[in-house]
Amino acid sequence: MADPTFEFAKPLPAELLYRRTDPKDLPFDLCSELPDAPVEIGQERAAEAVRFAMRMRAKGYNVYALGDAGTGRHELVAKLLHDQAGTEKAPSDWCYVNNFDDPQKPRCLSLPPGRGTGFAAAMKGVVEELRASLPTAFERDEFRARREVIDQQFKQRNEEAFGAVQQRAEAQNIVLLRTPTGLAMAPKQDGKVMEPEVFEALPEDQRKAIEHEIESIQGELATVMRQVPQWEREHRDAARELIRDTTGFVVGHLIEEVRARYADHSGVPEYLDAVERNIKENAEDFLPQQQHQASAPQPDGAQPPPGMAAAIEDARFRRYQVNVIVDNGGATGAPVVFEDNPNHQTLVGRAEHLARFGALVTDFNLLAPGALHRANGGYLVIEATKLLTGNYGWPSLKRALTAGEIRIESLEQMFSVATTVSLEPQPIPLKVKVVLLGPPQLYYLLSGQDEEFPELFKIAADFNDRVERSAEMTLLYARMIAGLVRREKLRCFDHGAVALIIERTARLAADADRLTTQKRAIIDLLHEADQLAADAGKEIVGAAEVQAAIEAQFRRGDRIYRRLQEEIARGTIRVETSGTEVGQVNGLAVMSLGSVGFGNPSRITAQVRLGRGEVIDIEREVALGGPLHSKGVLILSGFLGGRFGASRPLSLHASLVFEQNYGGVDGDSASGAELFALLSALAEAPIKQRFAVTGSVDQHGRIQAIGGANEKIEGFFDVCRLTGFSGEQGVIIPASNVKHLMLRHDVVEAAAAGKFAIYPIDTVDQGLELLTGIPAGEAGPDGNYPPGTLNHRIAARLDAFAEASAALMRQALAAATQPGPGS
Amino acid sequence: MKGLIERIVVPLDAASENRAAIDAAARLAHRWGAELHGVFVEDNDLLHLARLPFARQVSIGAGVERLTAEEVERQLRVFAARARIEVEAAARRHDVPWSFEISPAAAADAALTRSERDFLVAGTATRPIGRHFRVETRWWQVIERSAVSYLLVHREWATTGTVVTLVTDRGADAERVLDAAAQCAEAVAGILTVACPAALAESAGFEQWLADRLAAYSVTVQIELAPEEGAALLERFAALRCQLLVLGADAVAAQPQWLRQAAARAAHGLLIVR
Repeated sequence: MADPTFEFAKPLPAELLYRRTDPKDLPFDLCSELPDAPVEIGQERAAEAVRFAMRMRAKGYNVYALGDAGTGRHELVAKLLHDQAGTEKAPSDWCYVNNFDDPQKPRCLSLPPGRGTGFAAAMKGVVEELRASLPTAFERDEFRARREVIDQQFKQRNEEAFGAVQQRAEAQNIVLLRTPTGLAMAPKQDGKVMEPEVFEALPEDQRKAIEHEIESIQGELATVMRQVPQWEREHRDAARELIRDTTGFVVGHLIEEVRARYADHSGVPEYLDAVERNIKENAEDFLPQQQHQASAPQPDGAQPPPGMAAAIEDARFRRYQVNVIVDNGGATGAPVVFEDNPNHQTLVGRAEHLARFGALVTDFNLLAPGALHRANGGYLVIEATKLLTGNYGWPSLKRALTAGEIRIESLEQMFSVATTVSLEPQPIPLKVKVVLLGPPQLYYLLSGQDEEFPELFKIAADFNDRVERSAEMTLLYARMIAGLVRREKLRCFDHGAVALIIERTARLAADADRLTTQKRAIIDLLHEADQLAADAGKEIVGAAEVQAAIEAQFRRGDRIYRRLQEEIARGTIRVETSGTEVGQVNGLAVMSLGSVGFGNPSRITAQVRLGRGEVIDIEREVALGGPLHSKGVLILSGFLGGRFGASRPLSLHASLVFEQNYGGVDGDSASGAELFALLSALAEAPIKQRFAVTGSVDQHGRIQAIGGANEKIEGFFDVCRLTGFSGEQGVIIPASNVKHLMLRHDVVEAAAAGKFAIYPIDTVDQGLELLTGIPAGEAGPDGNYPPGTLNHRIAARLDAFAEASAALMRQALAAATQPGPGS
Repeated sequence: MKGLIERIVVPLDAASENRAAIDAAARLAHRWGAELHGVFVEDNDLLHLARLPFARQVSIGAGVERLTAEEVERQLRVFAARARIEVEAAARRHDVPWSFEISPAAAADAALTRSERDFLVAGTATRPIGRHFRVETRWWQVIERSAVSYLLVHREWATTGTVVTLVTDRGADAERVLDAAAQCAEAVAGILTVACPAALAESAGFEQWLADRLAAYSVTVQIELAPEEGAALLERFAALRCQLLVLGADAVAAQPQWLRQAAARAAHGLLIVR
């Protein structure tokens, strides 16, 4: 439905080219007078969805907040989550501790918020106390005496056994020799081993007696030797038992203190029991290194190097530490965690490694939490695009949400390709609400392609990209701008500046009656205007700074645009802005380069000849045209057939092309212009080149709305300014695009001054009449068009093509049926 | 003894715990600016045994097994090579010149003491079997024949404890003993205990004589009255946490058994000054 305040095919009044926000309508002079706007302004539907998801405790009610970047999704979600989280209790602390039965599988412990660090400190205190008190206990005379008795018993047993063998040997004049690897026996003569020659000279019975005796003593010695390992084992066991007894009292007392404070927490008493047992079994670790080695000497008396000694000492006590991976001490509510780098490791945590003497080692103390640990019991916010492009972040998140637990494992473990022994920490139960922030396209893609996605993300929070430009919303936007100015700590903006910013948000929405929700673009504009005000030494930012900032934004990115304009003005790119041409019309395309979009005029030409009814899209033939453009061209065939094909065959061949287009074209916004060029060629009616045309057309000849109307108009306007305004130039647009117009001020001023005009049309005929100055003509009851009209000329041309075609057909038929020679 | 000693000689073999002796020798070589010389003395007894038809050895790991001359020689070569490496390492550690030789047992005396400027350092502990049982060292016989001063070592060098010396008169020999003891005390903990008979300790000018002898050394001197009876004297040394006992050769020449007991009582060892 067209706006009643304008007429078709007549210049639009200037007030319809740009919808102002009158600063006088804003109830303030400076934005500082305004309170902040609600954060969910324009996003009530999305906010409701998020709130609903937060109330839902059932599994799978996670949220996908779909909307374009910069629409304030992050801010709104953060506020809603923080508001809710503040009303909830802080979740438990989580710790990893050693599993003394299987150190490869660390155990997790849950403690009330803030008690994890206390527990870790208590265990550290136990170890420190043991390191001080156990050596003292071992230094006491009572212990030393008992130890000496044990050692002495072993030594005595050893010496007695060997001594008895030695005595027997000596009694038989046999000497015991130390060989490099054992003991040997030989007959003695003059205090030395009997030389072989001497032995050989002995009578045989004497030799045999010596051999027999030595063999017998060797047997005894072998018996003693066989017992040595057993004696050593008994000695070690006795020494260990003594140490265990001595340790038991000290450690039991210390562990009991910890037990009294943490006994109520699940898993802690069992853990403390295991610690106590382990300390008793490894009490020697608490002896100072020297003392320890004295009780268990290194082979050959070798000492480990200093660095290794420190590492060994450190490793001895690491197993009693408590690794607090989640500490909610000081938290006042549930956590809200934003993970900026979501990948497998940052989400589910990781086992870090230390380089020790050329090897990478790990233990439960090196387990590091992921975002899921930190958010457990609360909320986790992730950018969906980063999640899907992060290193296995998405599969890991789905796995955790599906299983309801966080399992720290490497990717190799996850994919079962690990060949080395690694940690398998006990999984931690997961209770978290995940909010993904992402573009709508990704949401639809995931919904369609990922079976698990709908199960895990049942709530879609759909963010608006624009809101209605009502008086109420305008004021809310003014408050939002005021809030952003405060938040960003900028200079105060006056009401003129705020009004202009609101107008700019309408332009960014490409709609005079809507405002964009692209908050990021607004913030950028605020900052840039503020800087310009600072450059000018102003304390208050006015409309002039905002306007200058808008123009500067475009100017920074308009190098290509200016180059194209320049080449049009120099005639390199041929675009006529005056005169007439048959089969040629100025079309308009929009180019988007980075942050800048601009309109680019281009000649569209058509040629017709006798043919079989085809309309050829040259862009499509050379693969420069996209599918939507091809669709638009095919619609032209439909239009021609519908209007002129009922009573005659369409015996034409038409070709259409965007002249000097080398970069491809898509969209159907030029289909109207292409039809005008085609009809001009058919009617042989010249088109006024002072016009540019945009708009798509349907098969009935109705002109339809297109995108980028503002940029297209401004593009042709700039070309006309370069070639010189004639006062007759203008752009023909679909009437349904009038409500989208938020044109530059210079365009509006030129229109008001009668230098330039925008013509809304609703039908092809309206456009044809404007472009050619010839009445289009309406078909009479007989289906014929009045003579002198464009449609009559077109019909006549098509009739001529049809007759010519028929004549050719007859000639061909006659030639085919004429008898040949000899027939 | 600095300047008087040119070579510290360490007898080494496959049966002894050589490392402590080598380390002590290297320390002394560094202190006295002498050369460290290792002599690996072949064990004739072992070689003779291996040539006997019934030669066997018994070990904890392998039980009773045949012992051949080839096997013994091979093992001795391995131990000699290891001893050489240890001598070299100790020499590098203490930055002293070093040399090494392998000597047949018959030529051991000549290899161990070539001049009066040699000093012997011998390990008295053999490698134990079953942690505690040790056969007697071969070096007693060598050092009892030695014409030079020697140090008997049976544990790693430590920097705690005291150096104890026994002085019975104010003669030249006593001065040499005091000189050696003071140098050793400087290298240990700086404490020198001079044990002497009551008559000597109470004789006029003794303390001054002692102070004059020790003026060149930074040691703390303690005078201790020595019991006359040998066993009591050894008890007293142990009570003093004696790290090293320094004695004159004359004091022990007639009492080889007491010497062995004294060496065992000193935590580190026994230094005999000739």
